[in-house]
Amino acid sequence: MHIPDGFIPTWESAIFWIISIIFVALAIKWAKNNMDEKSVPLFAVLGAGIFAIQAINVPIGMGTSGHMVGAAMASMIFDSPYAGILLLALVLLIQGLFFADGGILVMGANIFNMGVICAFVGYYAFKSLRSRGISIAAFVGGWLALFTSAIVCSLELTIAGTFPLVAGLSAMGLYHAIIGLIEGVITAVVLGYIASARPDMLKWTGGKNE
Amino acid sequence: MSNGNSAGTNSKNSKFIMGGLIIALIIGILAPFIASGDPDGLESAAGKIINGNALESNLQEIGLEEEGTVAPSPFADYAIPGMDKIGEIAAMLIGILLMMVLGYGVAAILKKKEQIAN
Repeated sequence: MHIPDGFIPTWESAIFWIISIIFVALAIKWAKNNMDEKSVPLFAVLGAGIFAIQAINVPIGMGTSGHMVGAAMASMIFDSPYAGILLLALVLLIQGLFFADGGILVMGANIFNMGVICAFVGYYAFKSLRSRGISIAAFVGGWLALFTSAIVCSLELTIAGTFPLVAGLSAMGLYHAIIGLIEGVITAVVLGYIASARPDMLKWTGGKNE
Repeated sequence: MSNGNSAGTNSKNSKFIMGGLIIALIIGILAPFIASGDPDGLESAAGKIINGNALESNLQEIGLEEEGTVAPSPFADYAIPGMDKIGEIAAMLIGILLMMVLGYGVAAILKKKEQIAN
């Protein structure tokens, strides 16, 4: 879902840079208050894993493919949407600067869609469903995060004049309703694994094993 | 956490982290072989519904021939020019390690200061 340069005009790119810089600043503030000795290597390896898994595009039919984003998963593990925002900002920075994946001018919009939206939607869906089971909550959170992010992306492209409103929402919604299943399943598998093998790594488990 | 447990917990933690990194590197090596070449959801939608005039005027504004990025990228499309699959694997491994270093560096700089009482 990386928007390339050219899809939205410069003025709109600038607005999303400003919005994203505000959220990244809030994420930095979160990290300063919450990142501890134990979080540092976990944050780094989660970034490496998300970078790697994002490169695997899975065919979803209709000549289309999709890949995971990961902001929802990071937010669930670190118990804050700001963790997902910070991590995705770094992943997108590397993808944009070194791999031509997502434009530099539109990077603010990409951080907003895949970082801010995915993290907030995924985290709060997960948090509200957690009592029904970790895996179910993680699956729904992952799916909803990706789907919502695609809808927001489509609206940005409509504002830009590059996508018509209804056709944009239909195409983006349909493709990402399916791609969201990939996000949901991987998020559920990872969260389910950590919750059973290393619950002490998850703050919301009540610090069991601590 | 009691102090007597901290050594055991630390080694459990490094195992967990090493395991994660190894999984990431394996995914990175496999990605060039198993990733689908089909366009992603956004590119696919764009291929069908994009307003060509709007795209054209945006591209003109930023001086690009086609959509992409205004900055040169050393490993565009996760490849190294002229190196085929080996280049794709190398690009992925470089990306994973770059991400690891950047993630570690940023988190280490931002992490809360140790309590003096410790």
